[in-house]
Amino acid sequence: MRNVKMRNWVIGIGTPVLLLVAWWFLSANSTDPFFPPLETILIRFQELWLFEHFQSDVLLSLGNLFLGFVIAAAAGIALGFVTALVPPVRWMIDPLIHFLRGIPPVALVPIFISLIGFGTQMRVTSIALAALFPTMIATVDGIRSVSNDLMDVARVYRLTRKERVLKVLLPAATPQIFSGLQVSLQVAFIVMIASEMLGSSQGIGAMTLLAQQSFMTADMWAGILLLGVIGFLVNVLFSLLRRKVLSWYIGSRRLARAS
Amino acid sequence: MKASIRPYLFSILGVAAALVIWQVLAEAKVAGNALPPATTVFTTLATILGTGTFWSSLGATIGISILALALAAVAGVVIGLLVGSFESVRYATLAVLEFLKPVPPIVILPLAVLVLGPTAEMSLFLVVFGCLLPIVMQTVDGVQGTDPVARDTARSYGMGEREILARVVLPSAMPYIGTAMRVAAPAALVVTVVAGLLGGGPGLGQNIYQAQAAGDYASLYGLVIVLGVLGLLFQGATRLAERRVLHWHESYREVVP
Repeated sequence: MRNVKMRNWVIGIGTPVLLLVAWWFLSANSTDPFFPPLETILIRFQELWLFEHFQSDVLLSLGNLFLGFVIAAAAGIALGFVTALVPPVRWMIDPLIHFLRGIPPVALVPIFISLIGFGTQMRVTSIALAALFPTMIATVDGIRSVSNDLMDVARVYRLTRKERVLKVLLPAATPQIFSGLQVSLQVAFIVMIASEMLGSSQGIGAMTLLAQQSFMTADMWAGILLLGVIGFLVNVLFSLLRRKVLSWYIGSRRLARAS
Repeated sequence: MKASIRPYLFSILGVAAALVIWQVLAEAKVAGNALPPATTVFTTLATILGTGTFWSSLGATIGISILALALAAVAGVVIGLLVGSFESVRYATLAVLEFLKPVPPIVILPLAVLVLGPTAEMSLFLVVFGCLLPIVMQTVDGVQGTDPVARDTARSYGMGEREILARVVLPSAMPYIGTAMRVAAPAALVVTVVAGLLGGGPGLGQNIYQAQAAGDYASLYGLVIVLGVLGLLFQGATRLAERRVLHWHESYREVVP
């Protein structure tokens, strides 16, 4: 048993390392314009992102992502609550929301460019609006799936409406809200890149696409690498946050499964 | 009876109100020419619908999405069964899959355009890349979730490994795969549009880019509306297909009183 576990660990850590080593050596003397040596890519990575363009592009992109996502999260949860708790509002905006959700979020970017221009404002607006829907829809679903028993108990204990919303509905809907937020974060990341690639000169996405168009392949690879790492890290950070906020829920689920 | 009509009345009211607000804002020129009135957009849309180029773009978008989805489904299920069945393969791919999972296809779009150019192959490649991993991951989960008792029973009935895979493991993984497909189908459409919009691949994405670049805002809005309808159709179609294909499974069975 122990041996198997050890073996799995070795395989688990060994394979990615092996792949990277293979990439390094196979590309070492590469003259293929599309696939430059990994060494060159890493050197360009260091030159570009650490720290020449760190403030002007990396921080700018991340700032837009963060701001857009926070706006989307706050507005999505608030709108979700209103929609779920006030039936006429739900009936009124349900078809619109479903229609807007059907539009690929990136397709909204050209509209925002024509309305607001190419600036930071357009990027944050695009990110926020595109990322709004997953959170909002998950919030509505979360609230509507709260059991009637729970609401009856809350009513029997004579909780006020405010208490019912904040102390019963909100915690009960949090797990669903967090799955919505996770999707929103993905969408926000995609729209961040798209809004930079569509005719802007700043940001990681813009630099990566520009490098591709001017055949600076190593720079393009460096950009792809950075975007990949950011996508991964942002997701890890979010998972940590989720685990912290939802520790009670994850624990109770584990208990339920064990019994 | 009256109560059941009310939601629809409100829905119609909501849509009508949105259209009126749009029309009023556009007539007031709050955003200059960038926000055309709803009436202009819909007449332009009617003209666009009469052109052959629109239908060939629409065909390209749908064709690429569905072909790529099918490729990703076949490859994803095969890889998923492989990864899920062998512990060592699962551990070997764990780190790579976990790293690639949150990386959207738009990240490697520049690379795809560089190597393949602004072609249908490029779009196809990006969509497959985007849809493959979720299907693989869900299939692996499905294989892992197979009831060990069912597996042992099959073994004690003398089924071979291959038969167990086809008759026990795959059916029990089907709902997981169904969920993955339901998520992947709209995503395939989105990625096809992104590949056209940012990478110049054929389809509606490219038309949107051209409309925006030319300042043809009425066409831009019209095409985005088409995409919204298309997105809804994709979502509805996959949900229907899922229910039809998986009607035998517990979680989809309808309760007959």
